[in-house]
Amino acid sequence: MSVTDREAGPLAQAGAPLAPSGTSEVSEASGTSTTSTTSATSATSGRILVPYGQGRIRGLGADELGAHGAAMDRLVALGLPVVPGLTVPAGAAASLCEPDTAEAAVALVEQLSGRRIGDRARPLLLRLSASAPTDIAGLPPDLACLGVSPARADDLCAVIGREDALYEVWAATVRMIAEYALDVPGAVLDDALLDTPGPRARVEVLLSLVAEHGSRPFPDDPAQQLALAARALLGRWDAPRARRSRRAQRLPADLAVALHVQALRIGPADHSGYGTAVSRDPETGRLSPRGTFFRGVRRSAPPPHTGEPLDRLAGGTALLEHSLVTLERHLRAPVSVDFEVRDDEISLLAASAQVRPPLRASVCLAADLAQEGALGREEAVRRVTPAQVQELLHPQLRLTGGEEFLTRGLPASPGAATGAVVLSSERALELAADGTRVVLVAAETTPADVPGMLASAAVLTGSGGVASHAAVVARGAGKPAVCGAEGLRVDQAAGTVRFGERVVREGDAVSLDGRTGAVYAGTLSVSVAGPPPELSTLLQWADGMRRLGVRVNADTAAEVDTALALGAEGVGLCRTEHQFLGERLPLIRRVLLAADPTARDEALLALEHAQHEDFHALLAAVGNRPVTVRLLDAPLHEFLPAPGQALDAAEEQRAAALREANPMLGLRGVRLALLHERLYPAQAEALFTAWTDVAATGVRPDLEVMVPLVSLPEELAAAAAYVRDAAAAVAARTGVEVPYRLGTMIETPRAALLAGELAEHAEFFSFGTNDLTQLTYGFSRDDVERQVLTAYQERGFLTASPFARLDPHGVGALVDLAAERARSVRPGIKLGVCGEHGGDPESIAFCDDLGLDYVSCSAHRVPVARMAAAHSALRERRDESGSTR
Amino acid sequence: MQSAAVGLPNASDEPLTEAVVDLVLRGMWRGRAESEHRPLVDAGLAMVKGPVVLPTERAKTAAAQILRVPAGSEQEKRITAAYEAFLPVNRKIRDVCTAWQCRPDGTANDHSDDVYDAGVRESLEDVHEAIQPVLRRLGQVLAGSGQYLTALEDALDRFDDGEPEWLASPLCDSYHTVWMRLHQELLLVLGISRAEDEAREEELVARSRG
Repeated sequence: MSVTDREAGPLAQAGAPLAPSGTSEVSEASGTSTTSTTSATSATSGRILVPYGQGRIRGLGADELGAHGAAMDRLVALGLPVVPGLTVPAGAAASLCEPDTAEAAVALVEQLSGRRIGDRARPLLLRLSASAPTDIAGLPPDLACLGVSPARADDLCAVIGREDALYEVWAATVRMIAEYALDVPGAVLDDALLDTPGPRARVEVLLSLVAEHGSRPFPDDPAQQLALAARALLGRWDAPRARRSRRAQRLPADLAVALHVQALRIGPADHSGYGTAVSRDPETGRLSPRGTFFRGVRRSAPPPHTGEPLDRLAGGTALLEHSLVTLERHLRAPVSVDFEVRDDEISLLAASAQVRPPLRASVCLAADLAQEGALGREEAVRRVTPAQVQELLHPQLRLTGGEEFLTRGLPASPGAATGAVVLSSERALELAADGTRVVLVAAETTPADVPGMLASAAVLTGSGGVASHAAVVARGAGKPAVCGAEGLRVDQAAGTVRFGERVVREGDAVSLDGRTGAVYAGTLSVSVAGPPPELSTLLQWADGMRRLGVRVNADTAAEVDTALALGAEGVGLCRTEHQFLGERLPLIRRVLLAADPTARDEALLALEHAQHEDFHALLAAVGNRPVTVRLLDAPLHEFLPAPGQALDAAEEQRAAALREANPMLGLRGVRLALLHERLYPAQAEALFTAWTDVAATGVRPDLEVMVPLVSLPEELAAAAAYVRDAAAAVAARTGVEVPYRLGTMIETPRAALLAGELAEHAEFFSFGTNDLTQLTYGFSRDDVERQVLTAYQERGFLTASPFARLDPHGVGALVDLAAERARSVRPGIKLGVCGEHGGDPESIAFCDDLGLDYVSCSAHRVPVARMAAAHSALRERRDESGSTR
Repeated sequence: MQSAAVGLPNASDEPLTEAVVDLVLRGMWRGRAESEHRPLVDAGLAMVKGPVVLPTERAKTAAAQILRVPAGSEQEKRITAAYEAFLPVNRKIRDVCTAWQCRPDGTANDHSDDVYDAGVRESLEDVHEAIQPVLRRLGQVLAGSGQYLTALEDALDRFDDGEPEWLASPLCDSYHTVWMRLHQELLLVLGISRAEDEAREEELVARSRG
């Protein structure tokens, strides 16, 4: 199949931006095809037949030589061993259909290879292929077996030592020539092939069908075969399916192809064959040739499971490794080659930069080249996009070593998931309807399992492979899947699955990773992977190139630890709400619903104590880094008991009085603090006391205290006074003056507009772009994401959700204006962004352009933000150097 | 279609027979009117789970009995021949769908590479060319199987009209969805289990090894 064995393409190709040269050949490609029809008639055969390696000398580029001819030229120029062969340039390709040219081509390939067709000891066959100026899909299949005749076939089989391989390739060659050059109807050929098992019989049937239905019998003469083969290839190139394929790729309808006649040197199967190799291990990205080779006659689609690893090459892999390394240095990209093995010696059939190398290979190569000095560090960093960083940090199961491994299967659809085992579609739909995450487990899958798969978080099967129906469906539905798990036995009647000896019941939790194929018992947490070493290196270089700081939004010490490991420079937002939720909820509820001041003070004291512990752990984890602690900001309703759940009637009444119609716009943030005047002082004292404790151990976090949801300068002034008083109280009690900065969130349009006035009270601003986006648009996020945004994006009103990508025209303009007004009052004011936008590469570039000091994002986005900030800085540098020229 | 000894409430109820076969081959119905599935549910042949109608075990048994051709018959022999020609192509269509969804290195295909996608489309064309003679044969010996070529061509047209989900999405009558149905019908018609099917496919694919 053309996809799976797509031949290594040309050295100069579109889509391989890393190729150092050759792009000019690509750009002039395809337009020149009509110019040289004359050369077919007027040129000498020396011009029409160009041996590999001699195109350039004759002034021919990829437009005439085809991508394959140009690539072979380059391999010869690099001194690498190539298979003998020649190119008939695009403009002259039709001339190969003429007997004279075909005869000359046969003679020339015989001369180049030092062998003769029909020689019994060292036989030769020919392989005809086509190539366009660039690497494209939809080329006619190679005709891989020219020069054989029924009389000579036995001699060839005797040399090879295996019969089927030759006959199979021969049958495919005859099949295509019969349909496209000898006018035998395709349906007649198809029907005959269906009725004829076995390649040898097929060749016989095909040849007799040609005799019966064809415009002439199939010739024995190699040159006549080659001429017909050329006509068949060009006919196939002109067939409706090839035209449709050109349209799909937006290629010219009359695009001309070059033809290539390659020597197919036949040798004993034990010492001859063909294979493919890439320069890097796809898993680790390390330089380490990986590939497969097949013994016997080269086929366009090697039969599955017959490949052997490179280390079984009897002649060793030294020459192959040398070729790969040479090419990698030359192309500065991970490369792939097709090679032939003849009498244990390797020669190259094709070579190219990998069009889509595995990500780790690209990243590793960039780091390798930069470390060798072959590539600048900036260029190396430029090569890795923020999106690729994200891709390398894919979600995976967090393994602690204590989990129970159940089985391993084939990684069939990427992603990690966890859920309750279900054994039928029926059960899957029932549980999923209740919101339970389920994993459908099936020994084998039928259409009846599809609804269950769609309802599940993941799929696990005991049979089938990566290309099973189940895997296709799972990927189509975006579900992680592990297929063909070893030892999996389902007992529907008992409602159990056996993994070897271990029995899991329907409803029990399992976790699986569709990228590794591993399956575990129980519920494992799914988290982001740490960066591989080569990415860490590149990120460190990126850190040296960026101006914008990257911090993390983290609420607990554990989150801080994770983020610091991922390269965060500090905490840009610590939300203190969580300290009030969960088991602390009764404490804050007591504060809010206290019957009298005494009860309230008692509740506050308990709260302060609990908060002190949290802050202590957080500050200790932060170390000598900046940390922005936001004072309480949560909608009131999260703290109130549900109706009827209060302790007594009086509390019920007080709670009812506090309920709001629109809590998100009600009594929250600084507003709550101004009505419950002990709230912020209590928080601030807990924070400052924790700082003094941590400072006693020699750690001095760079503390920033932030007041949320401000829209009046007076609100900020009042809240600032609470914080100052708290600091004074702590200083009086402990004798330690805690150094801190006081600032505010900018979350309301009014705060942005009044940034100048607010800056008089604030030493820093942090733009809370989630709320600022909601309030600027008047969007309630929960509501519009469900209803409005998709429709708007479909209509083209919005290109992205403004909650994912900072809206530069509205919300961004407010940020810009606020920054300007704030700086006019307080030039050195520190400015950051702590919304989700802090992890989005385009929004990060926008913040960088505004000259903000840092972005703060969730831990798993920190590496992405580091790379995005570096790319933004490098882009500016490039722009600047461009404008000075 | 023979419907004797099927265990259906009313063996001569042809609409019900057709419906149960359709439901079993499809695996589920989505968005069907209640009037369509109500008779099946009443007969204990279908169950409604939210928006989805599923066949019961009884329905699966019934469909298998309805579809099965007489063992050892000439018809079985000829369908088996078509089925054996189907299997190697069955391997290929799954490879094509896999290539459409994943690049050879296992990463998701984001469809930003026209050349790669055009290459997959070429392989799909190879599959489509290869399955046509098989379906021609099948059409001569299995009533109703002509619908599959029509449905496959419809899916291919939709795909070529720029709706890529019509290749492999399980949510529409995509090329793969229709193919799965065809495969399931062949298995029920011939009374072949999934395990036998897998082994047979492997054997036929392996036979072409050199």
